[in-house]
Amino acid sequence: MTDTSHQPADTHGAGAHHGPPPRPTGWHRFTAPGWLRALWTTPAFGFFWIGFGCMVRWAAHWNPVWKSVPLVTIGTVSLPIGFLIGIGVFDYWAYYFSGRPTLPEDHSGHGARSWRDYFRPNTDHKVIGLQYLVATGIFFLIGGLLALLARAELARPGDQYFNPQTFNVLISEHAALMIFAVVVPVFAGLGNFVIPLMIGAGDMAFPRLNALSFWLLPIGGVVMLSGMFAPGGGPSSGWTCYAPLCSHQPMGQLFYNMGVQWAGASSILTALNFLVTIITMRAPGMTFWRMPLLVWANFATSTLVVLATPFIAGSQFFVLFDRVLHTNYFETANGGYVLGYQHIFWFYSHPAVYIMILPGFGIISEVVSVMSRKPIFGYRLMALSLLGILILGFSVWAHHMFVSGMAPWLRVPIMVTTLLIAIPTGIKVFSWLATMWNGRIHFTVPMLWAVGFISMFTIGGLTGVYLGSVPIDIMANQTYFIVAHIHYVLFGGSIFTVFTGVYYWYPKMSGRMYNERLGKLHFWLTFITFNLTFFPMHYLGLQGMPRRVADYAGRFADLNLFISIASFGLGASTLIFVYNMVWSWKHGEVAEANPWHALTLEWQVTSPPPIFNFDDIPQVVGGPYEYGVPGARHAILDSPAPVPVSVDE
Amino acid sequence: MVMIGLAAAVVSTAVAVLIPWLPIAATREAGRINFTFWFATVISIVVFSFVTAVLVYAFIRFRVDEHDFSTDGPPIHGNTRLEVIWTTVPFLLVLAIAVVSAIVLSKDGNAGTNPLKITVIGQQFAWTFEYPNGQIYPTLHLPIDRHVMLDITSKDVIHSFWVPQFDQKEDAVPGLNTDLVITPDRLGTFPVICVELCGLGHSLMRSEAIVMSDTNYATWYKGASPPPISASGGAAAAIHTFTSNGCVACHTFSAIPGANGKIGPNLGNLSVSAAANHEPLATFIHQAIVTPYKYIPPGYAAGVMPATFGTSIPKAQLDNLVQYLAAHTH
Repeated sequence: MTDTSHQPADTHGAGAHHGPPPRPTGWHRFTAPGWLRALWTTPAFGFFWIGFGCMVRWAAHWNPVWKSVPLVTIGTVSLPIGFLIGIGVFDYWAYYFSGRPTLPEDHSGHGARSWRDYFRPNTDHKVIGLQYLVATGIFFLIGGLLALLARAELARPGDQYFNPQTFNVLISEHAALMIFAVVVPVFAGLGNFVIPLMIGAGDMAFPRLNALSFWLLPIGGVVMLSGMFAPGGGPSSGWTCYAPLCSHQPMGQLFYNMGVQWAGASSILTALNFLVTIITMRAPGMTFWRMPLLVWANFATSTLVVLATPFIAGSQFFVLFDRVLHTNYFETANGGYVLGYQHIFWFYSHPAVYIMILPGFGIISEVVSVMSRKPIFGYRLMALSLLGILILGFSVWAHHMFVSGMAPWLRVPIMVTTLLIAIPTGIKVFSWLATMWNGRIHFTVPMLWAVGFISMFTIGGLTGVYLGSVPIDIMANQTYFIVAHIHYVLFGGSIFTVFTGVYYWYPKMSGRMYNERLGKLHFWLTFITFNLTFFPMHYLGLQGMPRRVADYAGRFADLNLFISIASFGLGASTLIFVYNMVWSWKHGEVAEANPWHALTLEWQVTSPPPIFNFDDIPQVVGGPYEYGVPGARHAILDSPAPVPVSVDE
Repeated sequence: MVMIGLAAAVVSTAVAVLIPWLPIAATREAGRINFTFWFATVISIVVFSFVTAVLVYAFIRFRVDEHDFSTDGPPIHGNTRLEVIWTTVPFLLVLAIAVVSAIVLSKDGNAGTNPLKITVIGQQFAWTFEYPNGQIYPTLHLPIDRHVMLDITSKDVIHSFWVPQFDQKEDAVPGLNTDLVITPDRLGTFPVICVELCGLGHSLMRSEAIVMSDTNYATWYKGASPPPISASGGAAAAIHTFTSNGCVACHTFSAIPGANGKIGPNLGNLSVSAAANHEPLATFIHQAIVTPYKYIPPGYAAGVMPATFGTSIPKAQLDNLVQYLAAHTH
């Protein structure tokens, strides 16, 4: 990514500043935005507010002056803000607020000319996309390692390596990281790289906000992880963090409550950015009905994120307030209502399931159409089904609560809406099948992952129908059946689509081709070990093995050992992926601009794309998937003048 | 393609039938739930086989050289009739599942006119069961073929009552009373499992449900064997208090069978801790039960042991337990 040969003509007028600012020297290195400044602003700002908290306690005669829970809570807010100040995400806004001169066309923080540019706030959506992908990739490896440690413990009944506290921390941190720091943000990463290119825009609508959104994410992940080292033990009440258990846990729990806030803020800001970008920055001619389905999917997802994420923020604040401020949202003894937590929590956390799969649907639509050399089958219904899932998605949260003791009458209506979601989801699966039918299918690595996704997601979707039925849910809920289901939809579903997308756009991002042989090996190893790991869990659950236990009945021992061995294979297969990505970035074969002969706009520019994407804004003249239509074009890049030819669907 | 579909159907049916997926139902409600399960399974096998058949067939039939992009497929954009079919058919299938589920749910909720009412109480980390005669037992005894209405609640955090052979589960929620109807129809002893993460002793929060014949149940209920917790005196009652309040799940105490938990400290040498606190043994033990965080032995954490035993165990039983522990520890 150090290629600087794509400098566009300066179209930004006089005074526009391109390229990085001159590197500061001497003491200025500690005052200019960057890691050296963060080195002192983080503790300075962080400990100032913790000290302020101590002073208030001292002045108010609250004993003891040092009380860890409230003061550490302050620290989880003030230390990250100190870091953000130091690294420089607020600099421009601070200049603006204080009335100092700012350059409207200041591009000094835009683009990557050296590896250093990936480690500072950057306003280039392509850099931010890669920052997201690498950060979520690191969290993915950490989260996976935590799962393997838990599987090591589960290889035999009884307690071997970890005590119950540590085991509960392992599973809680595994799920929290994988959900909030991997699957939700990884799509923000892919979307960041691809969406502005796909709609013919120069960047996202709010590039500085975009930079802030990214830097909030590693903070969220690090805050969550640092809970593991808190005295008394880490967050150990599961990723669901049900009250009142979680409000009476050791201090590590509050790192989870606060980590969710940082990661949630990151995804809300990104989603707002996506919405504004998609609504206002489409190239001329790019009507909604000409948008690639990934753009549609991101539009639906971002709407979900903006509307739903505040609910989980609320739920985590409430349990935190119960603990720190002694409010009584969920404290029964003082009139609190325990189930209130679950209603608020799932009002986000069910839509979150769609937040974690809709962008994947978009990726699969792109890849299946391109690799089958056929238009996507039933484009409009595909787009509408995304909106159908978006709307229905808000009416099904209580299916996580069929056995929670909530109002019994609510169960049947929620069951009906839940089962109805199978219809738009089914439409998508059948459309992909029909798109492949009679096509010229290229089983490249991304296509293998896409087909693997369709088959795995079908299994996950069907067990979802089981769990949507109230009586079956009463039987299978809270057991390993749920663990199997969630991994079929989140790993066999979401993560498979992430692999699809990463392989598909890898030549665009890096300018080089990944190693095909290793890519295929990665697919087959993952596909096989994934099924060996998770399919037997359905059986364990139905037979009576509850989830979230370190110790279990002896009769499940053999199968658990088998699952643990398979899971280590699954972990190993991921290392092939990491090696392939890292090695090919430098040593892969140089890729063409459009190796898949795709029509969508991101493939019409060089690989990697120019620093400002397009020299001239493209003119969109047709649908994005007109494969096989003689003479069809999606967009014209050379000439900015409108062209009369319009091949509509 | 039809052949591939049939093959997939045969394989998945074999997987469904040959592996004993479900435990043998022990209640009438479980029988109905199992029926719903198999109903959904038949539909799932059909859908799965269809998708697999198309995918595998496409994989074989429409594959081209993956580096040759010279030709495209036919430009088919859609087919309204097909799209209507694959919207309508899934709708009908899920509607069928919804109707069957709703009927089963309503039947399973019917407790008849005169159910036996038992209160199920969850606490960290033990189940207790209170019968109409006011007695509390650590195991659940049930007469066969009679509607039982379980009234479920919790003393501390959320637990969840589950017997795999009964299929049904329901959360025990502090501040709420939830209920569950069961009608056992098979004799035997089945595990009672907590399935909602409730703290460190969660995986040890187990009890037993014993389904008895009418006559055996009547004898048991009259004779109340094992002795109810309310009997408060002597070693047997102390052991019972220790067991039924879940102490065994976390503490090792060699004098009591089954007390080999490792979550909390071993209670075998309490006099050492008492001496370290400069307190008489009995006073120290009483304080350690009622206000467990006042003194925390090295290597253990605050916030683990419930601080509610001072109110939840009747005073006479508690004093008896303290006496017993003081007499048997070193």
